[in-house]
Amino acid sequence: MSHGRDIGEAIVRPRLSIPGRIGLILLALFGLLPVYWLTATAFMKKEAVFALDRPLFPVDPTLENFIGFFQNDLLLQNLKNSFIVSTGTAVLAVLVGAFMAYSLSKFRYSGRNAIMFMFLIGQLIPGALLLISLYLMLSSVNLLYTYTALIISFTTFTLPLVVFLLKGIIDGLPDDILEAAKVDGLSRVSTMFQIVFPLIVPGLITAAMFAFMRGWSDLLFALTLAGPDNQTLPAGLTQAFIRDGTADWPALMAASLITSLPLCIIFILLQRYFVSGLASGAVKG
Amino acid sequence: MIALPAVLLFLVIAIYPLISSIGTSLYDQSLLRPDRTFVGFDNYTAIFGEFMARLGTTLTFATLATIFPVLLGVALAVLLNARIRGRNILRGTLMLPWLLPGVVVSFLWAWIFNDSYGVLNHLLTMVGLPEVSMLGNPTGAMAAVVIAKTWHSFPWIMVVALSVLQTLPAEQLEAATIDGATRSQRFRYISLPHIVGPVALVATLEFIYNFGNFDTIFVMTGGGPGDSTTTLAVSLYQLAFGSYELGKASAMGVLWLILLAIISSAYLLLNRRLEKR
Repeated sequence: MSHGRDIGEAIVRPRLSIPGRIGLILLALFGLLPVYWLTATAFMKKEAVFALDRPLFPVDPTLENFIGFFQNDLLLQNLKNSFIVSTGTAVLAVLVGAFMAYSLSKFRYSGRNAIMFMFLIGQLIPGALLLISLYLMLSSVNLLYTYTALIISFTTFTLPLVVFLLKGIIDGLPDDILEAAKVDGLSRVSTMFQIVFPLIVPGLITAAMFAFMRGWSDLLFALTLAGPDNQTLPAGLTQAFIRDGTADWPALMAASLITSLPLCIIFILLQRYFVSGLASGAVKG
Repeated sequence: MIALPAVLLFLVIAIYPLISSIGTSLYDQSLLRPDRTFVGFDNYTAIFGEFMARLGTTLTFATLATIFPVLLGVALAVLLNARIRGRNILRGTLMLPWLLPGVVVSFLWAWIFNDSYGVLNHLLTMVGLPEVSMLGNPTGAMAAVVIAKTWHSFPWIMVVALSVLQTLPAEQLEAATIDGATRSQRFRYISLPHIVGPVALVATLEFIYNFGNFDTIFVMTGGGPGDSTTTLAVSLYQLAFGSYELGKASAMGVLWLILLAIISSAYLLLNRRLEKR
């Protein structure tokens, strides 16, 4: 087929040539084979993984690695901590962030641009840079090694994304509704709770889930600010991994799958919002 | 007033620590003892050589771990923009690596690269190639963390590039076709310029994030072997929570902060210029 005959949709989305297909297959394999290996190992018996004739797929699949996870009190505690900290982050980030977004979206005041600038720059600060001061600060107010320490830290670093995401949505709310609320004598806070929040529920859920993911995935702060009892899964697993070396790979892969599962579920629920949401927070500001 | 909680949180948790680390950097302070003594710029002179060495490693890692995901992500976006069966399913499943927490990605690649039982060496042996010790030597370790990070972040670049490609006006491509442009010319002169801006922006962000990456390197190599993969983030963590040298670690942080300010200004300039277009 000559190129001259490409029309309409076919020009924007051409067919793939043979080298193109081969390229796509190779790149897709690079992307997907490790995921396969993660899953496959998690279902393998420990003996099989360390045997001389190691199989490349779970010949004799087992759930023992997952069962082991749920019989391990320390890991269960880590899992519980992860849920508490991530949920706390999601709730606090959305509450604080929504007010901020509302203010940036519907009010004009001096310092508004400076605040937006601060939030934009803020998301570029690497966690490691704040670590020492944050540690000393939390220690001096007796918050070190608490859930609160983790939740407020995670919340702060999720705020830029949450604020820019929600600001984009609140920008789209017609001013008339808010004017009407004002005429009816509602205070700003009641307007938020009674008018704005109910109108942007999908946005709030999206923002909450992004915040949840932030708390769920973090390693650095959990490692330093959580202490032994409040450690989340990534920190707990890392310490066990470094302490025990490479003792039990199938168990570690099973634990990794369990750690990843909530994020995958959130992604499936949020697919639609993903690109636009992240783009509004991370790229455009 | 309703903006206050967010601004306060940000000032207290993000901005204040940045400034207060300047103070800490001027003291001989350790986690092991409560008191501290003023030492002026001694910490800076003590760690400057180390800082420069770690900076080199960090730049190597951040550059490589940005270039490869960008190339891979853009290539996949272009290929996935074509008419192929199962396109949406493929695009969805290729997002998986990006969803996994950094720690999981690091465990996974450490397992793949494991000298004795890793699947990489298993496959190499099967096809008659010699085994490699990825995490056991400096070059291999750097390659390993770059590969892991590439795998973790290519989906994000891919999705951005793909969504930009899909906003390309069909008329423009059609007009070019009527004027006799070949497929590769259309790509070179229309599609590529169209995606360059947004991709450059995401690449800059990716570079800044990689510059501060902690998870991948800390988990996979712990900065080793030797100090071949010790980046600034890992070094700062080790100084502060391994050797408890808070003053020296803060001095390293302050030097890093100055650098970051320069890089961020570049990002903001780029952002502004692209928004004007």
